[in-house]
Amino acid sequence: MALRQAGFRSLRAAGWLPQQLQQLRSFAVVSGDDSHDDFKPKYKQEPVAAEDVDAVIKQDIGSNKVFIYMKGSPDSPQCGFSNMACRILDAYNFQYGSRNVLADASIREGIKSFTGWPTIPQVFVRGEFIGGSDILMEMHKAGELATLAEELGGEAAKQQ
Amino acid sequence: MVTASDVEVKLKEKLDAADVTVIDTSGGCGASFDVAVVSDAFNGKMLIARHRLVHDALAELMPDIHALSIKRCWTKAQQAAATQQAAPAAAAAGTS
Repeated sequence: MALRQAGFRSLRAAGWLPQQLQQLRSFAVVSGDDSHDDFKPKYKQEPVAAEDVDAVIKQDIGSNKVFIYMKGSPDSPQCGFSNMACRILDAYNFQYGSRNVLADASIREGIKSFTGWPTIPQVFVRGEFIGGSDILMEMHKAGELATLAEELGGEAAKQQ
Repeated sequence: MVTASDVEVKLKEKLDAADVTVIDTSGGCGASFDVAVVSDAFNGKMLIARHRLVHDALAELMPDIHALSIKRCWTKAQQAAATQQAAPAAAAAGTS
């Protein structure tokens, strides 16, 4: 944990910007300046061309067992619902990828039409859309996430 | 602006809901709601499909709603079971 935080600071200090929009769970959003995420301009990053949005989404959800489209990043969520979803995923130690829909208007709209789901966050498991934060909470209460964590843990162990 | 009763009317109308609870959590601007719905339209459906029914019912309002938290999608049987099971706790459940 300490390493992680020190890592962010040095990256930030060096003004290093990730080329990829996609962040793995273990990396915080890195902005080019020292300002808080809340104050940075909206849609600063290069927008994904509308026709590429579906391809980007398929790439995201295909290359990550668990993936979340959210507002902000897991380390600095910018919405209570997104925060809740991340904290639930963290509670089960899921390794998950994420994409900040606030960084890109075409992704923000594209994900809604991709799933036919009007709200953010949106969570995918093994490429399949499972729902938003309310559903994640219900799955947690019903013990379904514990089962899922075991399954995914087992799959990861097999691959090694 | 969307009001809690707009949401309630739509849910009752489109889902033939037996019981609807809508709470405006926006603090007055009408953009954020918590909803709980009891309807036999949910019979035999997974939670995600139930949520989709709620979204569909509110499709006309969704452009003006920023946040929609769906707290419950129960069938009538589920509601009956819950009230029976939690009869002494019913008052407490009302406050949660």
